[in-house]
Order: sequence, then C-alpha cells, then structure tokens
Amino acid sequence: MNDDLVIVVVAGLVATACGLLGPFLVLRRIALLSDAVSHAVLPGIVAVWLVGQTRAPLPVIAGAAAFAVLCVLAIDALRASGLVASDAAIALVFPALFSLGVLGVTHFADGIHLDLDSTIYGEIAFTPFDTVTLGGVEVARAAVVLAVVVLANLALIALLWKELKATTFDPEFSATVRLRPRLLSRLLLVAVAVTAVAAFEAVGAILVVTMLIVPAATAYLLTDRLVVMVGLTVGIGWIGAVAGHRIALGLDSSIAGAMGLVCAACFVLALVGSPRYGPAARAMRHRTRAVDTAGAGPRPG
Amino acid sequence: MTAGTLRVVLAALAALLALAGCTAGPPTAAAAPIGERAVRVTTTTNFITDTVRRIGGDRVEVTGLMGPGVDPHLYRASAQDVRALREADIVFYGGLGLEGKMADLLADLAQHQTTTAVTDGIPREALLPAPGGAPGQYDPHIWFDVTLWEQVSATIAATLSERDPQHAATYRQNLDAYRSELRALDTEVRTRIAAIPPAHRLLVTSHDAFAYFGRRYGIEVAAIQGISTAAEATTADVERVADLLASRAVPAVFVETSVPRQTIDALLAAAARRGQQARVGGELFTDAAGAPDTPEGSYIGMLRANAGRIADSLSATTVTQGG
Repeated sequence: MNDDLVIVVVAGLVATACGLLGPFLVLRRIALLSDAVSHAVLPGIVAVWLVGQTRAPLPVIAGAAAFAVLCVLAIDALRASGLVASDAAIALVFPALFSLGVLGVTHFADGIHLDLDSTIYGEIAFTPFDTVTLGGVEVARAAVVLAVVVLANLALIALLWKELKATTFDPEFSATVRLRPRLLSRLLLVAVAVTAVAAFEAVGAILVVTMLIVPAATAYLLTDRLVVMVGLTVGIGWIGAVAGHRIALGLDSSIAGAMGLVCAACFVLALVGSPRYGPAARAMRHRTRAVDTAGAGPRPG
Repeated sequence: MTAGTLRVVLAALAALLALAGCTAGPPTAAAAPIGERAVRVTTTTNFITDTVRRIGGDRVEVTGLMGPGVDPHLYRASAQDVRALREADIVFYGGLGLEGKMADLLADLAQHQTTTAVTDGIPREALLPAPGGAPGQYDPHIWFDVTLWEQVSATIAATLSERDPQHAATYRQNLDAYRSELRALDTEVRTRIAAIPPAHRLLVTSHDAFAYFGRRYGIEVAAIQGISTAAEATTADVERVADLLASRAVPAVFVETSVPRQTIDALLAAAARRGQQARVGGELFTDAAGAPDTPEGSYIGMLRANAGRIADSLSATTVTQGG
C-alpha cells in the first residue's frame, strides 16, 4: 500500500515537472526534444567513465546533464540559424551525440556494462526503496529531487510567464519590444534538459518523454488559453500517474508503460472529443448549421 | 500566475512530500514468526530461483523476478515486483554486476532486510576479471562452472538456515542431496567436453559469457562481442573470430538465447569467405535457464543441455549446411 502511494506521488511529480514545460515545447513545435535528450546524454556517461572510471550516480548525472544542455543549445543554435527547420535541427544533433557515445562505449568501455539502462535510467518501481532522511522522516529520494525540479520549473514559468508567452506565440513581435526571445528560448531548453536528466535518473526514459509531450498535446486540443493549458497538462499527467498505476497493478505489468498508455488514451479521447477540432464537435456544428439553414429557408405559405 | 496560486501549489507540494515521507517506512511485520510459516524468498535470475527451490523445498515460497530468456540487464520491473521485494524475508541475487543498475536497489534493500548476493561465498581469487573491465570488477557468469555453483548453493543454504534456524537440518539435507547431483553433473559435463577432438575445442559465441565454462572444462572460448549485450560487435571482432574458425576448421558456432542472431550470421559469412563452412550449433542458454516445466528450465537441465549441444556440434566431422 505505502509503496504504491510513493510510486504514484513520484509519477505525479514527474507529471508536474514535465507538465509545466511541456505546453511550451508543444507550442514551439519542439516536442521531440526530450527524446533527443534521452539519447544525447550517452557521451556524457562515457566521458565520466573515461575521466573518473566511475558509474556512481552523481558524476554520471552531472556528465549526462552537461551533454543534455549541450544538445539543447546546439539544437537551438541550428534552429536560430534559419537554415534548418525545428524537426531537422533536433534530428541532426542527437544522432550525432548518440553516435559519439556508442563509439565511445565500443572503443573505451568494451567489456563493462556502460549503457544508458545500466547507468542513468531509473525504474519507477524501485523508487520507494531508495530513501533519504529528511528532518527525521524517511522520504523517497526521487520525490525530493523531483520536488526541487518542480519548484525550479514553477519559479521559471511564474517569473517569466509574460515573456515566455509572448515569445512562444509571436517571437518576431517580442523581439521588437526587446523581450530577447533567444535568451528565453535557451532558458526554457536548459530547464527541459535538466528536468529530463533528473527525471530519467529517477523513473526511466519512457515516462519522462511521455509526460513532457502527451499531456501537453492533449491539453492543446482542449483549450486556447495558455494558463488553462498548463493546468490541464499537469492534471492529465496526474490522471496518467494514478490510473496507470492501478492498471499496472491489475495486469502486473510495467508501471511506466501503463502510465504512458493512459496518457495516450487521454490524447485519443481529446482528439475525438475536442470542442473545436474533434470530429464529434465538427459533426455537431455541421448538424446545427444544417438545422439553421433549414430554419432560415423560405417560409411555407 | 498570482501569489495565491503559487501558495496553493507550494502547499500541495509539501503535502505530497509528507505523503511520500510517512509512507516509506520499514516493511510491514509478517504475522507469524518464520519458523511457523514458509520463508518468503524473492530471487532475480531463474537459476537462482531454481536452486533456492531445490534447497528450500517446501519450506520456501519463491518469487522469481526474471523469467526464462530474460537478459538481467534488460529486465523491466512489473508493478507486483515491488511487493515481492518489500515483503520478502530474503532476497537472493547474483551480484558481481549481473543485475546492472538494480544493484543500487539491492543495496537499498540490504539496509532493511536480508539481501544476499549468492556469489558472496566464492573466494575472490576463484573469480575471473571482467574482460576489459576496471580492476576489482569480476565476470558474473559463474554458473557455468558447476563447482562454483556448488558454493552458491552453500551460501543459499546458510542464509536460509540463518533466517529459519529451526529448519536448518532440512536445508542441510537438501543441500547435501543437491550437491551430489551437482558433482555428477560436473563429471558429466567434463566427460562430454573431453570427448570433443582437441583441435575443435573452441567455443565461439556472440557474447562473452563462457569464460568460467572454458576454464573449468578445458575448452577455448572466443566471443564476438564483449561482456555487455549492449555494445555492438565491430567488424574487426567478426574478422578476428572468423580467422580463428578457419585456421582451426571448427565446424560450429553458437547463438545464445539472449543475444540477437545477426552478429553470428555475419561471422558465418566471413568464415565462409575463408573457406570454412561452419554452421550454427544450436542455441546455448546464457543469462537465463529455459521455460519452467521443460528439462532446460532447471539449472542442472540447462547446463546439461548446453554441454550436450556443444559436444554434439563440435564433434561433428562432416559439415553440412543448414543442418
């Protein structure tokens, strides 16, 4: 029972940390960034092994974070060059970094298990067992780390709300009013990189990639107001966390997988039921219009 | 975002942390003392599961986390595994890095409950270094030397007796019976490998899991890729092993159940270019035994099957393609 609660809270914190940033990624059309980061951290892990011959969590996270930040900044620079589109910028940077990492593994670290799974990706099922003592109480370490990330992300978007909003929707206009869209974009991307690495370490890659994209894409279909979108994103993430955990217990399957599937199911529901874009709404509008036209037709008589 | 919303969010976060805090306590105490009920044991790989069942008999209730055909490095926890770990009286695992990042979890568990690496009882000088690894890292595939597995069985029996001293005699008895089976197995494997023509005693596999087997049973081992199932074999690796195959006229190579087959196919093609027609000698079990209720589902059955496949394929004098 208790362990189950810890797992749901940790997943909820991941949903919150990711949900605060996800809407901006979706709106800026760089949603795949988290997946890029999940691969681009490999050379960081190899570098840490080369320098310190260690696979201890802290240095590995530091090395991974360095390359995550490098990855997002390189993507941002490519995007800003105007020579390649967003999706191409992402697809150009992370395979290069991942290849560098694979080369490093086969060249320097053949014979040891130096891969993403055995060094950085955590497993959400194991988070209740890894505890730290905080003010006399044992708390899951992942919950503490993720709470800090949530606070940092919250501070970022609360302090820069207007600026982020303006640069997201109209970068050209915001440049003319000196909002420095490039700087804001970089800040946001660095936040994504740090969030992703911290969350990878706690709960594994697939849950983080899911939580950064799927709830935000779902919320995008349901509202046109940014603040509502952020709230909905976090809420949908929590639904995924709670319902996904129930399902995983019932099926005795992967927790992260079940949570990801619930989020995907929410997206499908929103796609069908979206008030503006969904087929249901469109059919309804069509009928209303037909009735209106019929009503406005020539009167009998 | 207003100060009001911020305050609400902060309060919610604090509440969540408190929730995560008061819940992460020690495991719930079991109702009956251990001597009066079955000992709950949770194990990682299925060799360990099988061996604990043999030594514990009906005194133990074993939950194995990793099924047949699972590479311990690619194991994914399921939701019920959390309970199996939390409620276990004893957790047995392979150790020596076999479980990858799960080692962190096992170290955490060791602070609250009996958590034993079954390889702990093996003297370090009996271990082989991990190929290419850092000093102090050992090759974890000790189960391919039956005498080392005998020591593993003794460690399992000792741990069970420690937690359940009332039934120590039962464990002792079961261990003795299992030991004599292991000794017979050791002799059998040795005899089968010794029957292979000396020039053909070369075991080519895709992943470096058979060093202990080679050392104990006198067969040279060549692997295409290193110890990690994640590293990909390089072209140089394939060429090097193909040269070896051709120069010794070795008739067969082996695909392991937990490694993709492409690397072996590349090797066969390279050997054929050198005029050596080798074939796939069958799949060997490496990191996991076969399905339960099959002969290969037990540790002993798995090792016997491996030894048989190696001996049969390498003793073949005429080589036929695709046989």
